[in-house]
Amino acid sequence: MEKPLVALDKGTTCSSWNYSSQRLATGSVDGTLAIFDTRDPASSSFSCTSKSKVHEAAGIVKIVWVPPEYGDAVACVCADGTLSLWEEAAEDAQPIQWKLCTSFKSGSAQLLDTQFGVSPSGLKMVTAYSDGHVKVYELLDPLDLKNWQLQAEFQNVIDSVSTFGKAMCLAASISWNPQRGESQESSFVLGFNSNTPQLNSSKVWEFDQAHQRWLPVAELALPGDNSDQVYAVAWAPNIGRPYEVIAVATDKGIAIWHLGLNPDSDGRLSLEKIAQLSGHNGEVWQMEWDMSGMTLATTGNDGAVRLWQSNLNGVWHEEATFEPTS
Amino acid sequence: MPGVASGSGDTRGASGSNDSSLVPYLPELRQPVVYSLHHGLKPPIGRLSISWSRGNNLRVSVLRPPSAEDSDDVEVGGRVVEVRLSNGDGETGDAKWRRIAYGSVPPFALLQSRRSSVASLSKMSMSPSPYNIDWWEYVMEYSKDINSLLGDSKAPPNPVIDDPKTVLRNVEEPTSLKAAWELMEMFYADKQCQSWLLERLVDWLADYDSLLSSTQPTVHSKLVDFQNELVGLQVIEDNPKYWEVLSSALAVGWIEIVVKMLRLHGSYQFHQLGNREIENGLVETVSFLISKMPRMRPEVEYGRLGECYKAKPDFIKAWEKWRGKITKLDCSAFWLQCDHRQTREGLKNMIQIMLGNTDNICNVTCHWIELFISHFLYVRPFTVGLESMYSLAQKCMQLKPMSSAHGLIAIILGILGENTEVILAECSRAFGPWMVAHAIELLTTGSDEAEFLLQEERHSLGGISIAELHRLVYAQVLSSHPLTWQIAPIYLTSCMKQGMGLLEILLYKLPIQHNETLLKNLEICRLYELDTISSNIMKIAGVYHWKHGRKGSGVFWLQQARDEIRLSRIAQHLFDSVGKSISDESFKQWEGLIELLGSESKTTGGLEFLHKYRDFKKSLKQVYGGKTTDTARQAVESLISLMKNPSTPQRFWLPILHDSLKLLNWQERPLLNVSQTSLLLNKLQELSMAKLRPDFIEADLPPQALSSVRLALATNLGRAILEE
Repeated sequence: MEKPLVALDKGTTCSSWNYSSQRLATGSVDGTLAIFDTRDPASSSFSCTSKSKVHEAAGIVKIVWVPPEYGDAVACVCADGTLSLWEEAAEDAQPIQWKLCTSFKSGSAQLLDTQFGVSPSGLKMVTAYSDGHVKVYELLDPLDLKNWQLQAEFQNVIDSVSTFGKAMCLAASISWNPQRGESQESSFVLGFNSNTPQLNSSKVWEFDQAHQRWLPVAELALPGDNSDQVYAVAWAPNIGRPYEVIAVATDKGIAIWHLGLNPDSDGRLSLEKIAQLSGHNGEVWQMEWDMSGMTLATTGNDGAVRLWQSNLNGVWHEEATFEPTS
Repeated sequence: MPGVASGSGDTRGASGSNDSSLVPYLPELRQPVVYSLHHGLKPPIGRLSISWSRGNNLRVSVLRPPSAEDSDDVEVGGRVVEVRLSNGDGETGDAKWRRIAYGSVPPFALLQSRRSSVASLSKMSMSPSPYNIDWWEYVMEYSKDINSLLGDSKAPPNPVIDDPKTVLRNVEEPTSLKAAWELMEMFYADKQCQSWLLERLVDWLADYDSLLSSTQPTVHSKLVDFQNELVGLQVIEDNPKYWEVLSSALAVGWIEIVVKMLRLHGSYQFHQLGNREIENGLVETVSFLISKMPRMRPEVEYGRLGECYKAKPDFIKAWEKWRGKITKLDCSAFWLQCDHRQTREGLKNMIQIMLGNTDNICNVTCHWIELFISHFLYVRPFTVGLESMYSLAQKCMQLKPMSSAHGLIAIILGILGENTEVILAECSRAFGPWMVAHAIELLTTGSDEAEFLLQEERHSLGGISIAELHRLVYAQVLSSHPLTWQIAPIYLTSCMKQGMGLLEILLYKLPIQHNETLLKNLEICRLYELDTISSNIMKIAGVYHWKHGRKGSGVFWLQQARDEIRLSRIAQHLFDSVGKSISDESFKQWEGLIELLGSESKTTGGLEFLHKYRDFKKSLKQVYGGKTTDTARQAVESLISLMKNPSTPQRFWLPILHDSLKLLNWQERPLLNVSQTSLLLNKLQELSMAKLRPDFIEADLPPQALSSVRLALATNLGRAILEE
């Protein structure tokens, strides 16, 4: 049932597959970015084709691939909170190699998560910081990953008037709406794990084209739970359902939400919590939806991989558990 | 949703279908199946990371904690393992599955196109039912095509010299998959066999009883055991097993085997005939009566025994007559004269079975389904309808409880209980998504309720029907493998609501680096008119080639994608490189690109300039090569048109003029007339004014460039005035 694909080097801390699952990028504790490739799409033997030193002093903690419309590139988040973009390119008769495009210094606050979204106007990058701030950058030239412009900066709160200066966030999770239609407004969901209750709950942010600003259109938490620390969020692909599906993991378990497609008069989207699932007995590390948005895979503190599905009556349940053994 | 099919033995154990309830499948109560994920790494494990690959392959990165320095000898810090979440039924190999998957495409596609044409016809005639009476015949054709993929049902030809001691014919190992398909075909699709359904079931059990032997003893396994003993037996009729096996085979209606085995009876031997006359007469009479057993079926295959009747009244009449003969034989006085005890008792037992004595039948059958079949043959031969079958099945199961249920039995129970959901769940569990996606066509033909259940759009499924859901699940399985993704679109496009959405995601996730995949991908887009996704794919390909040094392919694909934004950026990029270097090598590099970019595109701004500049450079090169005045004149024309054109950026003026020094200083005669020279001088003047502005870009030229151009123009002007 299982097949080994790649052996990873000692000190590997994170890994990420590209859009077609043909390339693997891994980061290690000594700041090295390694790329693994397969020669032929039908083959499953991967070998390391490139190694680059991304950071001299800090390890890589997270790698995110840039959408393929913008080249073969990754964002590396390092343990000291810096973010750098690396791209595979050939320049003027030189061989193809991975090169640094640009890096972002986050100042006093540490970068916690970053994700890319494709919108009609171009590539956007959302970054979340340990002081509870969220920044949205826009790529200026679609063929050049060097130049980014800060489009917006805000905090993850419904009421935009209040700001929280002394927020201390341990983790953040961002997930873009995977829909890439021409007319679709860009939106993403974001939750924090922090000491400031108002920042924590996952909120859906949508770009308001008319006023050129980001607005919170839904809060994925019941009134009693909105201060729960959020471990992970995942927006499911929508292949034609009349609602969106978003999974939110907090210390209370994994919640599955249905989000309406059309806003009410206040601009808010209708919400329904469909399921509250428990399984990992603690922190959830990662949640990933399959390509149809029907199966959710999760990992967590208990060291297991769990698969969740809804049955024919719409009842969510755990379908299978994978327990790693040597 | 049954996206995760497992089908291995432990799955069934985990779901707890051990009880003898008729509906063992209770979705709400199912516990998750626990699998071990072997990664081969030394503990401890620090972190797991997951990623879905195409389809439903899950890739899990298992990482050891980076600080685990205690074991220096360990070289590997982690491993990525891929988990395939749908591996069919476990008894069919990968290659065979692919053969079935590819083979089932044409019948499936044909049935879908027939459905849509039937639907559009019925819409036109305003008929209340979408299907006319012939619809099931189409489904039968489909079913037969699919069935033929699942294995060869034909027995090998009979050997010329028939070994009398071979009671069981050697046939190809039957598969559960085929058995399950035939069950559904006979109960749902084949409307013609409705009146002789029972006989079909008898034949079915004869073909597939051996499969049930894997979970518990069956009549078939008894026969196999006896066959192995047979060679060593001297006086066969003295062996109690002989009579036991005979009765068992008779009970389930395998009359050819029974008659053949009766012929092995010792009284048939030549030297015995004289003194065992009566005994032999009884054996022969029983054997004759068995071979004349009335069967309610249209025809009997060559070499098979029994008298067949198509119409029920004829059958009933014949049956009663046959039974009468058996009763008469039972009361015959000859039994008293039969000296051989085993023969007498054995034959009497067989007569009791044919007379429908339930105790005898129960004693000689093993599996409840055998008891069930035997009831139809001898106790209730005139049964019709599923309702009575279901209650009979319950009774039989009470008499012969199962220790563990075979997947086929669970499906039979679902069919007899008319519970479509159970059938689907069991099909999915035992055979995986292929079976469910294809069997739905049979189930919907069976009854209106099943059709409603499977075709009704449900909010809980996101607005799709169960039928569509299972097609999506199957298509996702197909997408998982590089050799089968190409057939997924056929199933996806037959899904009314969400198929296209999933198809777009599938196509988007295909790698574009390999030209073959890319072209196939674009062909599918064209076929289903997926313009947005196709331009997206070409955009990805364009950027990939552009960034990897294949600038020509990059521009080509971006043009195919009509990506004006990126193309205009590329034009801008070329534009920038023109000013930097006018050396011949770089000229060659971008000359082709300018050609590719074309001049149609309005938004590509500086392209007009690039085209004119290319023309100018070309003629200038000729001037340096040859030296004829004509080519030089052509070059001057290009130069003037370039300098007149408002789209020529100011920062290129001086480099262009500097490049043209040779033309300006032409030996034989001045090439530029007065007005042309004045135009260029004016441009030079403009340039000197612009130098004072802060945004002026200094061209990368020798310091004396401006003065040498100015001098050349002044000289030319003087000469031109003189000439005019």
